[in-house]
Amino acid sequence: MTLPTQLEAQVENFITRLKRRQVIGSYEVAKETAVILRQAVSMSRWRDADALIDIIKDLGGRLASAQPKELAVGNIVRRVLKVIREVVRGELDDMMDNDDEYDDDDDDGSYSDGINDESPPPSKNLSTTSSQIGSVSERPQLTVESSMFRLLADVSPATPDDSSDTPEKKAYNLKPLIIQEINEEIIADLETVYKGIADQAIDYIHANEVIMTIGKSRTVEEFLIRAAQKRKFQVIVAETAPTYQGHDMATALSKAGIDTTVVVDSAIFAAMPRVNKVVVGAHAVLANGGLVAVTGSQLLAAAAKHHATPVLVCTALYKLSPVFAYDAETFNITVAPNSILDFQQGPLIDKVTVTNPYYDYVAPELVSLFVHNLGSAPPTYVYRLINDNYDPEDTTL
Amino acid sequence: MSKKYQLFQTRRQKSNPHQTRFTNMDPTANKSSPLLVPGAVAAQKPVAGSPMGSSYENQWLAPEEKQRGTSPANSRTGSDAKSSRASSDSGSPQITQQNPNQSQQQPRPTPPRKSQKDMTKAERRALQEQQRLEKQGRIAAGLPKSAKKAAELESTNKKTQQQQQQQQQQQQSSGNGDDKQKKKARAPKTDQNQVPWLMHLDSPKRPETSGNKDLHPAVLALGLYFSEHKIVGSNARCVAMLETFSKVIEEHRPPADATFARNIQKHLDPHIAYLLGTRPMSLSMRECIRWLKKEISDIVEEDPPLSDEEARSRLIEAIEHFIRERITMADQLIVQNGLQKIQDGEVILTYGKSSVVENLLLETKKKGIDFRVIVVDSRPLFEGKHLLRRLAAAGIDCSYFLLSSVYVALRSVTKVIMGAHALLNNGAVYSRVGTAMVAMAARDKQIPVMICCETYKFVNRTQVDSLVLNEIGNPDELVDTKPVFNSCHQTHPTPNESALSSWREQPNLRLLNLLYDVTPSKYITLVVTEVGLIPCTSAPVIWREYK
Repeated sequence: MTLPTQLEAQVENFITRLKRRQVIGSYEVAKETAVILRQAVSMSRWRDADALIDIIKDLGGRLASAQPKELAVGNIVRRVLKVIREVVRGELDDMMDNDDEYDDDDDDGSYSDGINDESPPPSKNLSTTSSQIGSVSERPQLTVESSMFRLLADVSPATPDDSSDTPEKKAYNLKPLIIQEINEEIIADLETVYKGIADQAIDYIHANEVIMTIGKSRTVEEFLIRAAQKRKFQVIVAETAPTYQGHDMATALSKAGIDTTVVVDSAIFAAMPRVNKVVVGAHAVLANGGLVAVTGSQLLAAAAKHHATPVLVCTALYKLSPVFAYDAETFNITVAPNSILDFQQGPLIDKVTVTNPYYDYVAPELVSLFVHNLGSAPPTYVYRLINDNYDPEDTTL
Repeated sequence: MSKKYQLFQTRRQKSNPHQTRFTNMDPTANKSSPLLVPGAVAAQKPVAGSPMGSSYENQWLAPEEKQRGTSPANSRTGSDAKSSRASSDSGSPQITQQNPNQSQQQPRPTPPRKSQKDMTKAERRALQEQQRLEKQGRIAAGLPKSAKKAAELESTNKKTQQQQQQQQQQQQSSGNGDDKQKKKARAPKTDQNQVPWLMHLDSPKRPETSGNKDLHPAVLALGLYFSEHKIVGSNARCVAMLETFSKVIEEHRPPADATFARNIQKHLDPHIAYLLGTRPMSLSMRECIRWLKKEISDIVEEDPPLSDEEARSRLIEAIEHFIRERITMADQLIVQNGLQKIQDGEVILTYGKSSVVENLLLETKKKGIDFRVIVVDSRPLFEGKHLLRRLAAAGIDCSYFLLSSVYVALRSVTKVIMGAHALLNNGAVYSRVGTAMVAMAARDKQIPVMICCETYKFVNRTQVDSLVLNEIGNPDELVDTKPVFNSCHQTHPTPNESALSSWREQPNLRLLNLLYDVTPSKYITLVVTEVGLIPCTSAPVIWREYK
């Protein structure tokens, strides 16, 4: 599907930067992806929602394959697809029952809560989006019943020829609605991610605690700084060799007035008896509740488990990915090994295999709680969050 | 000046009983906040006061030495108290008359006007300088501006150098005062870095070679080697220390009124104390010293008493015998025992650099077994790189990982073999920091963990966590990170200097460089010693048999 050239140029630029890993941090990646997808919705030509969904899927697939381990890209694409479907469904609802009061499940309120999906009955999907049929049976029973009820009550919705002219009319309505939704639900949501997590900080940290963390995560940083405004506690930061992100984190925390100690990674187990809580950030959260986080996180979480210390993971919901890691190294990337064994070691380099993995897979059993921008969830609840935020058929882009 | 110093000392003696009670009581003591509790003066000190200091030394010196060790201390303080009482009358009028002089001194840089006091102009000026520096030092450390704290600091510095006790009586007292000022100016920096829950541990010290003219130069050199980390590793340090002591023994000629046998113990004590001052004794070194003292006391009790020459040669021979049997030969036996455990196709993971494990791997290669080695390393010492070099030179197929990625490394590993610094009584392993994490990770993946340890490293003490007794290294070692070119962050400019380069200016930031940790016995499958392969919980049995 060809996109207008201006958009194409933007997309190519983004893809190139993704490939070179020039976009740093999943937050930036998510924002840029959302903006590009919004542009795609507004600039490309489509007549019905089907076509739009195909365009977005195609584009999303290209973006995701540019950097497959950067899961935030795929997440935002899936979100946009869900938004589109929800808007379309909502529109159909409005169209069908203009005289009916059944327009309470509007587009706006339904996905921002994320917990209880008030989406309109899926039977309407038979007309608009083609691939929802399989999912009808997976939807909770309640909505199926109401759809049956509505089938009996209203004859018109199920007929296909009704749908043939509605999408055309709706194409003009859908576009601003979809763009509005993308703006509100996705982009605006991204803006408030850090605030939403930091607001909960006080609920999790008591006075005189010793908190341990690893790596540099903006989420955790804001979490701890907000807690420090009301509570007094100490932080131990593991320095995460070889990137030494822990040093930056410690400097930032100490500048905010938190009593910080930097330790080497090897001292994590030694210092753990003294630690009350472990707070880490994540690069991505997988469908089983496992984490992809910076290297060393698995050590930290395992050591905490051995000392029965709770592990809190501060992530935003856009990091939630509906994919599984069948193998612990599925989502790991290796970066240049010269930061481990540099070229000054001379002839040693030829004889030795050096690996520098950037991420770590943390098993869901080691995590106590996920703190996200709309609340908190144990790892066993993650699959529900995924159901609420994504559509099942979007899992493979 | 010396009288002023003695005045400090009497105040210190009075405050001693209080400080042990309040150590470690205040977990939130921010190092920069002034103390509010009057009695809790100990909460911010870098090194615990003299009672703690003496008990720490008691761990290294055998029980019969404690009486000998403390009695000279008591006699010293007793004599000082007497002399201070005598001079207190003359001291106090000096103090009261100092203050008005001081207030008039500040605007005028010229020397003070003549007065009829005992102290000369130069002495008074030096005294004012001393007080001013003292005050500066205290303010910089955020300590209350009382002389009591200064006295306590002085007392702890004194403990590490017994020589200064003699010096303070003589004319060198002014030089000594300056020395104290320098120490106090240095003390605030280490004060700042004290982690609240690790106050009981000594922060790293620098060896003071200036005041130790009585010590054998070989011991001074050894102390410097230790503190600069030129000699690292349990075996290396023990062997170096024993050989140096052997030299000291050989060259020692007792004074005319004592026999060699009885005098050598007293002669060695200051050397041991000096080495303690440079770097806290490793547990295995402590065992060696304990063995050495036992040998000496055996020689003393010999009936009929041995001649000097005989005693000396006996002692030197015993030391040689110890090194040969319990370290060198033991290593070879351990290698033999461990060889049974490595078969073809194995992938061995090791951590850090242990001399025994290195020998084992090299022998395995010589035997022709086909295996691979993964070396896991960590900051800041990067000891694994040396091991890697030797193994690669021998032609072994090696990989290299950092500790943070050990889970990735463990995917293909069949056995983990590590060395130990000491084996505790409850079967736990006291070893380089990070060993516990590797053992835990291996245990999680059901990979057997083997520890190679000689029997002289079995100690008769127990630790349940790593913080109770540990060694804190130089915090500045953590700062030095080479600028890393990380391809994940290409647009970020690689910093030319580390983010922590100005960590001392940050009031809330401190660096902790722990050197050892304790691996619980449940993570360890097997210990390979020269007497066989034992489970780690049998450690106390072995200690009893072979001490």
